[in-house]
Amino acid sequence: MKISCVIPAWNEAKNITTVVNRVRPLVSETIVVDDCSLDETSQLARNAGATVLRHPINRGQGAALQTGNAYALQNSADIIVHFDGDDQFLAEEIGDLTAPIISGQADIVFGSRFLGKPTNLPAFKRYFILPLARLFNRLFFGIKLSDPQNGFRALSRRAAEIIKIENRAMAHNNEIQFKAFQNKLRVVEVPVTVIYHNFGQKMSGGLKIAVDLLISKIIK
Amino acid sequence: MLQQIIALVIILFFVFRLAGQKIKKQVGANEFRLWLIFWLVAAVAIIFIKDIDWLVKLFGFSGSGINFLIYLAVLALFYLIFRLRLDLAKMDKNLTEIARQIALNDKK
Repeated sequence: MKISCVIPAWNEAKNITTVVNRVRPLVSETIVVDDCSLDETSQLARNAGATVLRHPINRGQGAALQTGNAYALQNSADIIVHFDGDDQFLAEEIGDLTAPIISGQADIVFGSRFLGKPTNLPAFKRYFILPLARLFNRLFFGIKLSDPQNGFRALSRRAAEIIKIENRAMAHNNEIQFKAFQNKLRVVEVPVTVIYHNFGQKMSGGLKIAVDLLISKIIK
Repeated sequence: MLQQIIALVIILFFVFRLAGQKIKKQVGANEFRLWLIFWLVAAVAIIFIKDIDWLVKLFGFSGSGINFLIYLAVLALFYLIFRLRLDLAKMDKNLTEIARQIALNDKK
């Protein structure tokens, strides 16, 4: 079974070698999608043994993930894992995400920070921003997941063929979750660890995601 | 009367400008037609402003014809901004697809 790991990266020269070195032994192919970095991300990822695709202009994380998906599907991937390039996920948990797909229980597996694993998530985000995002997801998109914003996930080939990521910026997280439910894919959540080096989305970022999602409901 | 003349002169200025842009091929035929119709309708509305006053009253709205025209103009502007936003989003989507195809082709 071919497992491809897609890592979107933008100016990640500081972390990309470590991330690729940790992921590579656990998957069949590591695909780094360099979203037009200004630093040495591409070169370093290539040196570490990753397959590197490079956007000629910066298009955002969602666009980079879809480019990685398209490449992985062209190259016969059975499972595609999405993994961040900033070293905030644990590579050894990739197996936890792929297991439900390998055993035939799931089409898509989402990582969750709220299923028991320890987290250093700031209280404001944990008790205010994320519950709001969860409510927004449930009201507008019918998404019933414990973690509304988690980039660590695994997709079966079928799921990756069905879910075409169109939101090029951060709203792709919700889009993938929404399309998984909309297409009645078998969804499983597994606990994952997220190590915060900085504190991710700010409130304004969350609002931008909400606006992007509502616009994407209008534009087809 | 003086206000109507000033408004018509301004419209005439924009129509000449539009014609100049068409001659220099800076606007397409459809866009030229759209804006020409827009300015002609505006000119007609200004010439017959008293009749619009009457029409507005007939439909039971308060305020004068000129207010009504301003409301319509604001509505038109909202619509144009909405259309622009949709067009921009579509272009943005196409740009992403081009960037993706270049990245995939470079790898082949």
